[in-house]
Amino acid sequence: MRVGIPRAMLYHHYGECWLEFMETLGVEVFVSDYTTSDILTRGTVHADNENCLPVKVFSGHMFELKDRVDLALVPRVVSEEYGTWACPKFLGLPDLARSLDPDLPDVLAPVMDLGDRRCLWVKDWYRTARALGASRLSAAAAVTGLLENLARHRLQSRAHVDTGDMKIGVAGHLYNVHDPRVSLGLLDRIRAMDATPLTVDHVLRSRARYHANTLSRKIFWSFESRLAGTVLNWSRSRSVAGILFVTSFACGPGSMVGALLEDQLGREGSVPLMTITLDEHAAEAGLVTRLEAFIDMLRYSGRADTRVGGAAVRAGGGPR
Amino acid sequence: MNINAPRVGSMQFMAKDFCERAGLGYVDSPPYSERTVELGVSVSPEHLCFPMKILLGSAIEALEDGADTLVTVAGFGPCRFNYFGEIQKRILKREGFEFEIVVFDGPRDAPVSFYRNVRRVLSGSPLGPVRFLRLLPLTVLKGRCYDEIEKQAMALRALEVEAGSVDRAAEECLSMLLPAQSRDEVEEVRCAVAERFQTVEVDKARLHLRVGLIGELMTCIEPYFNFDAPRWLAKKGAVVERSLHMSDIFTPMGRNPVFGADDREIGLAARPFVCHGIGGHGQINVAAAAMFARRGFDALVHFAPFACLPEVIARTVFSRISNEFDIPVLSISVDEQTGREGIQTRMEALTDLAWSRYRERVNAEERESVKA
Repeated sequence: MRVGIPRAMLYHHYGECWLEFMETLGVEVFVSDYTTSDILTRGTVHADNENCLPVKVFSGHMFELKDRVDLALVPRVVSEEYGTWACPKFLGLPDLARSLDPDLPDVLAPVMDLGDRRCLWVKDWYRTARALGASRLSAAAAVTGLLENLARHRLQSRAHVDTGDMKIGVAGHLYNVHDPRVSLGLLDRIRAMDATPLTVDHVLRSRARYHANTLSRKIFWSFESRLAGTVLNWSRSRSVAGILFVTSFACGPGSMVGALLEDQLGREGSVPLMTITLDEHAAEAGLVTRLEAFIDMLRYSGRADTRVGGAAVRAGGGPR
Repeated sequence: MNINAPRVGSMQFMAKDFCERAGLGYVDSPPYSERTVELGVSVSPEHLCFPMKILLGSAIEALEDGADTLVTVAGFGPCRFNYFGEIQKRILKREGFEFEIVVFDGPRDAPVSFYRNVRRVLSGSPLGPVRFLRLLPLTVLKGRCYDEIEKQAMALRALEVEAGSVDRAAEECLSMLLPAQSRDEVEEVRCAVAERFQTVEVDKARLHLRVGLIGELMTCIEPYFNFDAPRWLAKKGAVVERSLHMSDIFTPMGRNPVFGADDREIGLAARPFVCHGIGGHGQINVAAAAMFARRGFDALVHFAPFACLPEVIARTVFSRISNEFDIPVLSISVDEQTGREGIQTRMEALTDLAWSRYRERVNAEERESVKA
């Protein structure tokens, strides 16, 4: 029995936890390779054309699993935080994977509802483990291990390595930002321009939550809430010189949160914010030009080094 | 206080009726037009979803007409709709409009904010909070009656003998419904409506298609955005049934009296295709598609705004439903660029396909019976 996991979407958040769960059960796991242009093209061809870029990437990865594995693991992530919801795309991801192509491997879709404080969703994982042929004891051990890993994972924030004199906040979904093909090597490009990219997972969830709670209406998408909190944290503490808001074309929550952040940051007077929209046609040249312009602007406007409280206030409204 | 609520199906009717009985002022948003779309698109960021742009345009038109309080509903689901109110407030404030906005969350999700919102609306009404809230069930009941009239009309329009007789009956029924003031009166009107529709002359033997109309709330219900699909389909000889009705959404406990299935049944019907709520009306639409297909409908038309989150998943799933039940499904995405001709060509292709399949089936049945 070989179980495949597509290296896309929430694999970039919880992949390690899922892998360890499968390893505890002693199931052979195959993770699809890093995204290539081929994978992206195949995903674009097969997925509905109105899907957002990450879903197309995910579809491409599903086709990578074809003929290589017996089952595909696509957990249904319902929420990542108490009182919030995941994006509808995550909610329907297993259903989408099942209707892509009849030749694809069967989909295992245990529910993962991290917002459920009673953790009732682990029953689903237990059943999955049993269906994979694990004994009661090892299934229970795997489920406990999964819970522990997730709890540890939630408290961590990634440590950053300084690669330049200036910090740039890259606010975007981790599956876009950490996938070099999808983001066209955005992080490396920022590093090459003598700046340090900070991503959303560099900021503690608790700090992000604190700032997200200051908004006039709570954001009820789990990740977007964290993202908005992170951006507000960066902007209010002036810990970055500029913020890149990276979203993918047709990303629903991104469109709402983007509009919200532009308005909110415009009112508060924040560090400069630039929006980059990724899609399957995004080309390197366009990205590099905009990135260079943004970083040069930050350097020469005299705001390169982050001065606490000293950054000039952006006029209200700001460029749209 | 001049209240305005979004114009979606019977919502406008319900809101107006409610405000009248509660002694509040109400300003109609004008019917949707090109101007609404233009106004909405001009103030909203590019990637917002189409219904949001429309509501913005419509709100601007209402504010110009003298409304000062925008009342809208939201909830805590994964659909973008639940954040409309907040974005609407920010954008319209930025554009320099003076208004108040009251965003009603579900009383079960956020009882405190619900109560506060009731108090805010109440400040313009002579009624006390209890009497005010007791008006709500009657309003929903009237909305339900309104939707039932609409449902009847869609079912009969393709079979009418004299063109326009069904529309006339529907209009008469609505004018009967307007003055109803109590539960009993609404019941009486419902009986009268059933009688009135029986007097419409219909040709029961006429060959007709059965087409299911599904899709996102705004595009599925509002004739301006689906280019009046129910009437257009009726002209092509199709009896239409729709999955979404505005009053179903306001009926508590997950009953959907107009559609005729409660939430549990909907979850079961959607089961092999979508096994979990996916926000918005994605699950209901998938369930409705499966139900319609099981009942032997000839075609399904699905309307959704461009890049609508739940509907894109539903539409991916429709390919599976279409294969399994052998039913043609036409999925149309609507946005500010959509033109009437493109939609009609595609719908025409669908009805032609459905008709040819229908005739083939009828012929095959005849041959069978001759053999027997």
